[in-house]
Amino acid sequence: MRAILAFAPLLGRLKGPITLTLLLSLITLLAGIGLLGLSGWFLTAAALSTLGSAFNIFAPSAGVRGLSFIRILSRYGEKLSGHDMTLRLLSDLRAWLFARLFPLVPLARRFGRGDLVSRLLADVEALDTVFLVALGPISTAVLAGGAMTLVLVLALPGAALTYALLFFAAVLLVPIGLVLASRAAGAEAVAANAMLRQAVLDGIDGHQDLMLFDATDAAAGAAAVASGRLSRARQGLGLRAALASALVQLLAGGALIGTLLAGLAALEQGTLDGPLLAGLLLAVIASFEASAMLVRSATRLAGAAAAAARLQAITDSAPAVAEPAAPLPIPPGGDVRFEAVRFGYDPQHPVLDGLSLAVRAGECVAITGPSGAGKSTIAQLLLRLVDPDAGTVKLNGSDLRAVNGAELRGRIALMTQDAPVFLDTIRANLRIGRDDAVDDALWRVLEAVHLGEFVRSLPGQLDAVVGEAGRTLSAGQARRVCLARTLLSQADVIVFDEPTSGLDVETETAFLSELPELTRGRTAIVITHAVVPETFDRVLELRAGRLEAARH
Amino acid sequence: MDDKDKIVAQGRWLNQLAGADRVLLAAVLGLPLLAGALLVAQAAVLAGVLHRAIVEGAVLTGLLPQVALLATILVVRIALGGFGELAAMRFGEAIKQRLRFDMVVDLLQRSPTWTAARSSGALSSTVLEQVEALDGYFTRYLPAMVQAAILPVAFAVIAFSVDWIVGLLFLISAPLIPVFMALAGWGAEAASRSQAAALNRLSGRFADRLRGLVTLKLFGQEAAETARVRAASEELRVRTMRVMRIAFLSSAVLEFFAALGVAGVALYVGLTFLDLVNVHSTELTLSAGMFLLLMAPEVYQPLRLLAAHYHDRASAKAAVAEIERELDGLPAAVAPVAATAMAGAAEGPASLELRSVAVSDPTGRPVIAEADLTLEPGGRIAILGSSGIGKSTLLEAIAGLRPFSGVIRVDGQALADIDIPELRRHIAMLGQRPRLFVGSIADNIRLGRRDADHAAVRRAAQLARVADFADALPEGLATPLGEDGLGLSGGEIQRIALARLYLRHPRLILLDEPTAHLDVATEALVLDGLAEFARDRTLVVATHSLAVAARMDKVFRIGGGKLLPAPKSTSGDRSMGAA
Repeated sequence: MRAILAFAPLLGRLKGPITLTLLLSLITLLAGIGLLGLSGWFLTAAALSTLGSAFNIFAPSAGVRGLSFIRILSRYGEKLSGHDMTLRLLSDLRAWLFARLFPLVPLARRFGRGDLVSRLLADVEALDTVFLVALGPISTAVLAGGAMTLVLVLALPGAALTYALLFFAAVLLVPIGLVLASRAAGAEAVAANAMLRQAVLDGIDGHQDLMLFDATDAAAGAAAVASGRLSRARQGLGLRAALASALVQLLAGGALIGTLLAGLAALEQGTLDGPLLAGLLLAVIASFEASAMLVRSATRLAGAAAAAARLQAITDSAPAVAEPAAPLPIPPGGDVRFEAVRFGYDPQHPVLDGLSLAVRAGECVAITGPSGAGKSTIAQLLLRLVDPDAGTVKLNGSDLRAVNGAELRGRIALMTQDAPVFLDTIRANLRIGRDDAVDDALWRVLEAVHLGEFVRSLPGQLDAVVGEAGRTLSAGQARRVCLARTLLSQADVIVFDEPTSGLDVETETAFLSELPELTRGRTAIVITHAVVPETFDRVLELRAGRLEAARH
Repeated sequence: MDDKDKIVAQGRWLNQLAGADRVLLAAVLGLPLLAGALLVAQAAVLAGVLHRAIVEGAVLTGLLPQVALLATILVVRIALGGFGELAAMRFGEAIKQRLRFDMVVDLLQRSPTWTAARSSGALSSTVLEQVEALDGYFTRYLPAMVQAAILPVAFAVIAFSVDWIVGLLFLISAPLIPVFMALAGWGAEAASRSQAAALNRLSGRFADRLRGLVTLKLFGQEAAETARVRAASEELRVRTMRVMRIAFLSSAVLEFFAALGVAGVALYVGLTFLDLVNVHSTELTLSAGMFLLLMAPEVYQPLRLLAAHYHDRASAKAAVAEIERELDGLPAAVAPVAATAMAGAAEGPASLELRSVAVSDPTGRPVIAEADLTLEPGGRIAILGSSGIGKSTLLEAIAGLRPFSGVIRVDGQALADIDIPELRRHIAMLGQRPRLFVGSIADNIRLGRRDADHAAVRRAAQLARVADFADALPEGLATPLGEDGLGLSGGEIQRIALARLYLRHPRLILLDEPTAHLDVATEALVLDGLAEFARDRTLVVATHSLAVAARMDKVFRIGGGKLLPAPKSTSGDRSMGAA
């Protein structure tokens, strides 16, 4: 439950809609209580009135009609404003969470992708119950129950205590008890849901491998296990909810019987008249309308609490690198320097140890070395996706740890080994490199990477949508879209991490030979295991954590 | 018209799902009706107590038996309702469980080219969210619908026997409500359909963007992408509110009738008591009047319940349409595929023959126009060609993963005549983008043969040069991997995938770019291992690497959609500059 409180600031932004919703739902409930109570009183009073007595029928009948119309309108308004507010909160939550993810990049092995999708969608959506189901109805019920208790204290003191105890047990204790009792099962349901999603994603993304190894039945089995687990968790939640709902109805029944007995006793003693007894009884029945809704959604509240805790687990995890409190500006230019850098994912086994590197602005340098030697780590250090364990990395003399991360990434562009093509248009994919690039610039860069002709052949050309992970493109074409995107950026330094993997030798050689020309005026660092063309200024080889000149 | 047939078929499909367990269905529908019948008794007893106390002046002690009866009715009614709720939940869970399994099996039985062309985020959302969206239809909408069809009329008939005017009021107003509701509901359903599509697109988009989170950050797209996420969510909100504005209108109609019913009965009965209205031959008692007032909200309650769950029906129908769209049809119950045992030993290398093979991509564009090839048992060939020219497509066709025209024969037997488990036993393929699953390195290797013992996994790992990097890890082959090999380099992932293949005993091996991410030194080691494994097996390798091609018997290249023989060495030795 504490996890949900952490999202209170987001609720604070929606103060107006929240107040409106609360007010409307309170009016709806009170109008319902008033309507049934007044009707009972009026009907009984009329039955008892003797012929010809001056019974004022206008006030009660106007009251009955008025209350019914108030109830109709306020109910509609309450529902509309409640849902609108909830969805606004959802938008805020999604965007807020997405923004919180970026500083945590790279997420590494902490969270699988399937799990993360599940968190973002299901968990955020589970949180919509927090106001609509928990805070709103509970406050409304408590206020309405308080009002009803007050009426009983004045009109039928003998019933007030019993009613108050049973009513508040039904609207507070039972839901709270249900939430506590459902906590484990709710967390289990969320976990099982994530597990099922992972199993399904594994089956789809690894479909070809599963098929080739005749392992589809095992994949279906894994999904069935997760699905069974989800089903059991849901049934556990459902059982608790059914019990709680029965309990609330029993409490409501108890309150009715209690009020009836106290009322009959008061009637016998002459401290209460018949019409008032009938009116109070019917009002008591109406007041429990508040509790019926509470219980049905309290199970979902438990699920929401688990979801909130999981979301918090993401937002509270430490960012990969810390931003400096007072960032220093980076002097202009593209001069890159590594000074005695040591780094290891496992500090006991450093990948890089005592690595030094100096690349002058405008130079085009290749870094080669056996796979697993730490070539990609050099790129990650340069973009400050990770910090060195020892030594410093500098751009134009500024220690990267002292500068603003966003400014740094504006100055150094990286094309990663696994850079994706997004499910979007060619134009949107390229503009990730530079937001304001005009079509002319896009075509120029497409020509430069030999994609111009291909894109012109697509229906819609720059507006053609390319598929998830670029699977409507061949591997080589997908790489070239990423290359084009990278070349489009205005960075002073461009780092390429295996830019030609998946390309054939001729295209690879052609592309690498053109790289120095394409990046003219900028610093280029190319990490590759391909043959490095003569056009490069220097070739360095990474061996045992250090760089050695392989060719000058 | 076509659309209408489709909607009817979707409705029939939903009811088929519901009809699978008739006993449970009877409990789900019947228990709430019994509870409803007790409601009449409860109102009658309560009205009787009030009448005797207020009009006849009965003392409390004399009324206690009736109060006890009231309490008993209450408890039994609540118990019946509770059992009904439990039955409904079981019912819904059983249906969803079966459906999810059928869908996963159905997906996995399709061609991998079908799944590859779709967003995995959207497909997984179909299996999870869309199936979950059906829940309300079975657990809430169906029982509510049966209650709404029977209880109001039954209550009205009972009221009719007490007072015909009130009975008539109930009888006329109650059936009118579903008419209004349907009018409001139609709009809600159409809007709900588009909402389901929006939700699915959003899910696909999230999966896609999460995969590229690093790239988005590197290009400083944090703020822009966050804004786009918000915009997509806002779009969903606008769509949802469009549904809600209409869905709530139908419940407002009900609220109107329910409030009107209470107010109408109260005013009518009150005025009758005051003799301002007189249509009765006999006097109306307080007991009868109070009974009618107590029943008034209950007449409309089943309809209100139905309205509250009406959007469950709309959501379910929208989900069904979305399932149908996403899966190209509604899944039928499928028989689980029986696990096939791996044969122990290889039966010697297979021959491969291609005659006028043509393959198109999923959009129908021809990729391979006319490929011919004769490969003797034990032969080893490389297929060269620039990227996108169709090397992978051709290998996938030979592996039986893609439809093709022409003839492919393995050991003289046409591909179409070999049953799938048999085919998989004879042919092993390594794709260009092998996928690693969550689990340890050893678990991932064991995908090749699930009953492989530790020693066999170890041998495969050594042969594929997985051991070279795995042994440096603290837990060795038992090291857990993140999803899709998170934390490993492309070359390491490829070598694990190769080790999978080494656990099998294929007679024909198809490799698609097996060394694309490897440096020259590692490539040579991996090729040594491959040479050892491929002894007595037939081998086809699609590659860019001339080092790979140099080790093969023959080299082909793809040109003009055909397989053409090529000289074994077309350009200089690439291993010069790198080492």
